[in-house]
Amino acid sequence: METDLLIIGAGAAGLSAAVGAWEAGCRDILIADRRAHLGGVLEQCIHTGFHGDLTGPEYAALLSCSLRDTGVSLQLETEVLSVSQSREAVLSSRKGLERVTFSQMILASGCRERPLGALDITGARPAGVYTAGEAQEMMNLRNEDPGENILILGSGDLGMIVARRCFLRGKRVIAVLEQAETYTGMAKNYHRCMETHAIPLRAGCTVTELHGEGRLRGVTVRELDSGSEEFIPCDTLLLATGLIPEQTLVSHLGNPPWLHLAGNCNRVHDLADSAAAEGRSIGLEIGKK
Amino acid sequence: MKRYDAIVIGGGLLGCFTARNLRRWDLSTAVLEAREDVCTGISRANTAVVYPGYDHKPGTLKAALTVSANRDFDVLCRELDVPFSRCGSLMAACGPKGEAVLRRKFRNGQENGVPDLQLLGRDELLALEPELTPDVTLGLYAPTAGTVNPWALGIAAMENAAQNGAALDRNAPVTSITEDSGGYIVETENETFSCRAIVNCAGLRSVAVQELCYPSPVQLRITAGDYLVLDSLTSHSPKHIVQFEPEQGKGLTAVPTVEGNLLLGPSERPGVDFGTTRDGLDFVRSLTRQVLPQVDLNDTIRTFAALRPNPERPDGSSIRSFVIDRPAERFWSFLGVKTPGMTCADALGLHVARELAGALQVNKNPAFQPVRNGIVQARNLDFEARRRLIAETPEHGEVVCCCEDVTLAEIHAAIKAGATTVDGVKRRVGATMGRCQGSRCRLKIEALLREEAGHGN
Ligand SMILES: Cc1cc2nc3c(=O)[nH]c(=O)nc-3n(C[C@H](O)[C@H](O)[C@H](O)COP(=O)(O)OP(=O)(O)OC[C@H]3O[C@@H](n4cnc5c(N)ncnc54)[C@H](O)[C@@H]3O)c2cc1C
Ligand SMILES: Cc1cc2nc3c(=O)[nH]c(=O)nc-3n(C[C@H](O)[C@H](O)[C@H](O)COP(=O)(O)OP(=O)(O)OC[C@H]3O[C@@H](n4cnc5c(N)ncnc54)[C@H](O)[C@@H]3O)c2cc1C
Repeated sequence: METDLLIIGAGAAGLSAAVGAWEAGCRDILIADRRAHLGGVLEQCIHTGFHGDLTGPEYAALLSCSLRDTGVSLQLETEVLSVSQSREAVLSSRKGLERVTFSQMILASGCRERPLGALDITGARPAGVYTAGEAQEMMNLRNEDPGENILILGSGDLGMIVARRCFLRGKRVIAVLEQAETYTGMAKNYHRCMETHAIPLRAGCTVTELHGEGRLRGVTVRELDSGSEEFIPCDTLLLATGLIPEQTLVSHLGNPPWLHLAGNCNRVHDLADSAAAEGRSIGLEIGKK
Repeated sequence: MKRYDAIVIGGGLLGCFTARNLRRWDLSTAVLEAREDVCTGISRANTAVVYPGYDHKPGTLKAALTVSANRDFDVLCRELDVPFSRCGSLMAACGPKGEAVLRRKFRNGQENGVPDLQLLGRDELLALEPELTPDVTLGLYAPTAGTVNPWALGIAAMENAAQNGAALDRNAPVTSITEDSGGYIVETENETFSCRAIVNCAGLRSVAVQELCYPSPVQLRITAGDYLVLDSLTSHSPKHIVQFEPEQGKGLTAVPTVEGNLLLGPSERPGVDFGTTRDGLDFVRSLTRQVLPQVDLNDTIRTFAALRPNPERPDGSSIRSFVIDRPAERFWSFLGVKTPGMTCADALGLHVARELAGALQVNKNPAFQPVRNGIVQARNLDFEARRRLIAETPEHGEVVCCCEDVTLAEIHAAIKAGATTVDGVKRRVGATMGRCQGSRCRLKIEALLREEAGHGN
């Protein structure tokens, strides 16, 4: 199969890039995404605050609507396995394996979360440790609980939003821990997510060790100033310790002129609107060619 | 009461390979494993090296077994359908003390019959392995060294044993052993068995298991060690196994694994559980910086610890050789087999199986089939073969673990092959082992496990 423009990822950035490229005149566009739905990570962000005061899924629906009047082709539930220097991508789905050659490509593959193993945390590896995004997926898409007595490491927007979500599901959120002097997400989120529900923020500290066999029993928390350590019992630790742009597919390619990065795989955007805007402007630019 | 000719206690590397080799004879065999899966003890975490055989004193069983096992490793891995990379190893020294160690090992190796060993000077060494520190002064090159994944190997051996008729009971910790009319009665928490002979392969608990029935000539002192695993995309990973022999203290091994990651470790410290420690990890990091200065430790995706059984005599002196005890005519014990127990697992299993078959005077099993076919993994196929695979089995088209490229069909196959936990799936098909460490697929795998368990009920 051939296409002028291949877009990998149908999140806020990929969808907006497709619409931008279409508006600019490109008439042969294919988006591939492994998920079954459009919108990428927005699907699991059921809180409001997107594009004004929409929920994530509402915002995803809005972005999808603007795609409806275009002739952009979609391949959902499709994994892009590889991209080669010769401008060929390999796509896998239940329908089969196929090669797609393209003239231009936009990588809009989002980001991944920094896993436990990448953090300087020692001790056991018990159950009950999740990334914040994983916990968000559990609660919002699978109706499962990550645990009962929950500590959250990292006070960026994702950490604070997930803290509130746990609280609203009736869990005990012991604290949000942060190594910096204060929270690192937006003030708006601190007020709406933490203050409103009296969820404590503990700044200037970090988790150094996990305890528990089978299930997490507690963690050692170190005050970074004094170096003093304390054991905090909990059955769940959520890691909101950073997002890493997902560039694995193109890591071997260097910077060929046909490759463009948009959204969280380019740099981590605080707001989905900003990822969308970046996608749109890249789409507009490429579509003209 | 179930009856077997031979009961193997413990399903680590040694238990799995002992069972496999027992089935070369006409011996009904069962493996009783305490935990939910095989290879979750010592065998769940090691350095993954198939040693060439220069570390051991000439004339010892260890030396002889290691050299011959290494030679036969390609055949073994082909039979068991397990990836094996004969990448070669370089032992590096940066001063006179390390050089002396290398020269001694070189002489040992020559006497032991290790093929193609070479001592290399600095320039040759750096040409062969440019990631090494320029401070290196001498290297011992063993092209026959290789690497294999310990649990992939053990699981394959157990599957091969099972395919040849051996039984495996999991969640079956042996709690009592009594002599009974020339054989034994073996009790687990839920069941009682009778057998004519026992092979105790209980690893860290091997002395305790022997002491259920006989005294033990050794005690085990348990120590621990820490490891780091780096992202497969890390730059400056060496192409060979690199072993660093520092001027003082313990060394370090760096292994480019069959999965494509860089494995660094281990430290040596007190410890009785699988938790890591800061000092241990710092030790590994510090030695890595010395011998592979360009490696970026920020690419770490996982840390883990391993446990070592150190057999000691009653006077506290340590024992270097493999301890294979035979406290009674029909009872064999592997008491705390550490390095190179993985390299020699098949050979050790065969050694005991042969003795046991002799003691029970049984014939060879003419139907024994040494070849096991592993789970087909789409990622190992070229485009055409993968296309055909998906056309036959559409579930191979759906990738579940996107870091390691593991498909839905493979997860189902892992569950069918006996995985009951996410770790069990990981050990069978590699899902969750990549750079996101399962944060994008673990929930899906858990759901599949629950679904499958539901069907079973
Ligand atoms: C876990 C998480 C939670 C967040 N929560 C919030 C929040 O609560 N509030 C907020 O304002 N912002 C949140 N954000 C940030 C915001 O949602 C994002 O900045 C924005 O939506 C990112 O859009 P994107 O298109 O760059 O990436 P994504 O939405 O992640 O889209 C990338 C898409 O690419 C697909 N993909 C990647 N690789 C492949 C491949 N090889 N083959 C096929 N498909 C592929 C993925 O399946 C995904 O659908 C969150 C981000 C993350 C990662
Ligand atoms: C740090 C380290 C690094 C190593 N690196 C290498 C290497 O690079 N190359 C190499 O060749 N070798 C290496 N080895 C050696 C190799 O890993 C071991 O020799 C091997 O894994 C030992 O396997 P095992 O079957 O004896 O023990 P285990 O794997 O521990 O198996 C014993 C099993 O018995 C079960 N069990 C215990 N009690 C009972 C009971 N009462 N009833 C039923 N079941 C029971 C346990 O649950 C366990 O599954 C290394 C070892 C260590 C410690």
